[in-house]
Amino acid sequence: MVKLDEKIDEAIKELFISDKPWVTIVWDDPVNLMTYVTYVLMELFGYSKEKAHSLMMKVHTEGKAVVSTGSREEMEHDVARLHEYGLWATLARGDQAL
Amino acid sequence: MSEGEEATPSGFTRHGSNDYVANFSVSESEVLVNLVEQIIELLGERTDNHGDDPLAAMVGITSHDSPPDDDVLLRLLPNAYADQVDASEFRRYTESTLRAKKAAHAMTMRIDLKSSPDGFIEVDHEGANAWLGAMNDIRLALGVRLQVQEKTHEELEILAPDDPMRGVYAVYSWLGWIQGSLIQALMDDAL
Repeated sequence: MVKLDEKIDEAIKELFISDKPWVTIVWDDPVNLMTYVTYVLMELFGYSKEKAHSLMMKVHTEGKAVVSTGSREEMEHDVARLHEYGLWATLARGDQAL
Repeated sequence: MSEGEEATPSGFTRHGSNDYVANFSVSESEVLVNLVEQIIELLGERTDNHGDDPLAAMVGITSHDSPPDDDVLLRLLPNAYADQVDASEFRRYTESTLRAKKAAHAMTMRIDLKSSPDGFIEVDHEGANAWLGAMNDIRLALGVRLQVQEKTHEELEILAPDDPMRGVYAVYSWLGWIQGSLIQALMDDAL
């Protein structure tokens, strides 16, 4: 029984390692208006004004902020949409992002 | 946009739940058309590295996976990954779509302006988003030329009257003002 448990544990571990969430990062940019960044985050991600505003402030004061997390495909989609609206965004594996 | 022109600029205001209106002067409208047409031209297919594979072109795969040489284009079409290999792969499959989407925003703005020679612009929420995207792309392009990344706001404010960048900065600031007015009008909605 112990052996089986170990195997299951390993399998679960594997699953989580291979499915590490990815993140979308927005970088600070001197051109984009603060209100514009807030508005784009609200529009694209459906975030509340408060949440979008605090993410924007994080970008502004810390130089970058994680604005969404998910699978690699989802983050590629998010980055593409952010690029469409001119925000400076990249994606990375969650464990390598910050 | 001359020095003495201190009249209140024509920004957007909200009229009704899904109706945003601006009333530009003829000269303001002409400046906007000129700028947006430059963006449309800039976003045309890259001529470097052109692909000859029509099938690839049809499904939106481009032959180029290298970042654009031009600084302005690179800001409009940035890398999606810090890693160069991942960035190239992503660019190969997505760059032409991104160009097309940005060009569509710019075309919307151009058509709105061209179809209203008196400068009266009326857009719905979707149209407003296209205008925001297009105006932002123009500002990003001007920002690269102005080196806003390297220079401070104060340095740009005190450019000499004969500095050609002085006019560029005036347009850049004016666009920011219009963009801000439209965002303000849209955000009122969300209250």
